[in-house]
Amino acid sequence: MINKIKSTHSIFLFLTYFIIVIAVLSTFRDFGIHIEEKFHRMNGLYWLNYISHIFNFEKINSITEIKMKEVSDYTLSSVAYYNKYGVIFDLPLAYIEILFNIKKIENVYYLKHLLSFLIFLLSSFFFYKILFQRFNNFFLSLAGTILFITTPRIFGDSFFYKDILFLSFFNIGLYFLLKASDKLSLKNIFFFAIFSAITFNLRIFGIFLPITFFLILIIKSFYNKNIYNYLKYYFFYLFSLICLIIVFSPYLWSNPLTNFLDIFFSLKKDLIGSNIKILFNNEFINNRNIPETYLLTWIFISTPIIIITLFLLGYIFYTKRFIQRLIGIKESQIFNDLWRGRNEQKDFIIFFILTSFYLTLLVFNSPFYNGWRLVYFLNIFIIYFTVYQVNNFIILYKKNDLKKKLISFLVVASIFHNIISLANYHPYQSYYFSDLISDNKKNSFEGDYHGIAGKHLFLKLSTNNKGQKIKIAVASHTPLHRSLEAIDSDLRSNFEVIGQDYKNADFIFKNNISEVNSNLNKKYNIPDNFVKIDELVVKGVIIYEIFKNLK
Amino acid sequence: MKIFFYKSILVFVLFVLAIHLSFGLIKKQVKREYTNFISKEGIEHVKDKIRKEIKNATKKKVLINSEDAELLNNFLIKLKLELEKTKNK
Repeated sequence: MINKIKSTHSIFLFLTYFIIVIAVLSTFRDFGIHIEEKFHRMNGLYWLNYISHIFNFEKINSITEIKMKEVSDYTLSSVAYYNKYGVIFDLPLAYIEILFNIKKIENVYYLKHLLSFLIFLLSSFFFYKILFQRFNNFFLSLAGTILFITTPRIFGDSFFYKDILFLSFFNIGLYFLLKASDKLSLKNIFFFAIFSAITFNLRIFGIFLPITFFLILIIKSFYNKNIYNYLKYYFFYLFSLICLIIVFSPYLWSNPLTNFLDIFFSLKKDLIGSNIKILFNNEFINNRNIPETYLLTWIFISTPIIIITLFLLGYIFYTKRFIQRLIGIKESQIFNDLWRGRNEQKDFIIFFILTSFYLTLLVFNSPFYNGWRLVYFLNIFIIYFTVYQVNNFIILYKKNDLKKKLISFLVVASIFHNIISLANYHPYQSYYFSDLISDNKKNSFEGDYHGIAGKHLFLKLSTNNKGQKIKIAVASHTPLHRSLEAIDSDLRSNFEVIGQDYKNADFIFKNNISEVNSNLNKKYNIPDNFVKIDELVVKGVIIYEIFKNLK
Repeated sequence: MKIFFYKSILVFVLFVLAIHLSFGLIKKQVKREYTNFISKEGIEHVKDKIRKEIKNATKKKVLINSEDAELLNNFLIKLKLELEKTKNK
């Protein structure tokens, strides 16, 4: 009987993933190219060149030298200076590009998009396992996993291998953290160390995994009185982690300690934009001095309303329970202080990471830009507490059939809402806004930072102006010329992107991405001899506008 | 030991939050105002405002009333005399 249930579950799971893969395979080429993809390609080639030099792989060394010269671009930041970015994805992909001799640049990028999505999908399976091990309810876990995959902004960005790549590996790391906290074994700890190291390689936020593990072992040692055993395991973890961090980061190879410290020190000045203005609620604010409400506002306006409501209820419910446990701590008791049983331990770990991370951001006044994409991995916790609250409702209404059905309906409605939003916004799911937000309000926040609409613009202009050479100026902070790599090389030569040289332009491209206060700075003002001829609007969000020179 | 550990963490977190929510927030607000004021756009904004005010003033038939004009005239004459006196010394 149990085997039959398990095989039915496997079939359901397989079908869900099969449908998602088919849908993605038929649509992934609709997405444009992200403005930072060129940098990441360069990053991969730079470090592949470095490694090939160390290990004397002469052929790869010479190929990477040539390719690096080709990639070079006047707006591209130097990798030799910005050399602290993780290479866990960029470097293998640079090798694949050379190994399979991929000639067309657009194919290099679309391969990266596809692999990035597949990693995200793989991580969603770990998320399913987290949910199933916690709630022991197949359909609830499957629903949670579908919500996790189909959260519009997360799905849209899953092709761009930056923030979602971190989310994916953080999620797998979290799975092994929960597993190692449940059962301390060398195997679990080693896997946890591998994914913690990869997570750290991608973003410094990954440091929350080892800190949380340490805290859990301390709390457990109060109850088990087995501190030396825990310390032994923790030191094994720490040793593996340090070795793996060095192995995964060629940047650390030459001088591990100094360069490791440099990663932390450089964070403040280099990695997160420098004193740029960002559009937030119709005001241009400095990204290094954002309001306290910045992150919360963005999460609330760009996450579907049912998910955010259930998350809040779940989070408040758990906080209440946590405070009760905290108040009830006694010097000696037969249970762990902050949780009872393995399930509650998982809730505590999730709650601790989310809360401590948010408070750290708040206290350190962390700089942000373009919404909450730098912390998209918080969606793991949002969906976890959403599912947690649904589970609370199921327990609460287990004797009331009508209310139970209502809860099931809410979950199904939420999934359908996500899927419909994915279809409506396609391929601009990265710019999803909650349905409660008015169109006017949606446009009072930053828009197409990724510049993915560039592909749409070039294809549209080339259809309307067949064979003509077109000069396009850009009235925004988007390096539009990088989007040219998303279109066929034959079409590329028809376009010349000329920055803010408006007087020589045939067309002006404008979106609401500006590094200066556009209300006061006239840098991106459209000259009077240009008229708006077209715009791309998706569900009220103005993605871009085109202006034509009347001459 | 255990109770001490939990209390220490709790006190530390509450202390950091209290500092942040009082002193930290005020500092942030002042910094925001200051940065906006001294920014390139802020200065341009002030310049624009001055230009606009001068433009508006030149459109007026009478810029200052006769009493103020007389007062200013007397003041400038006095100032001129004193400056010349100092020069001739």
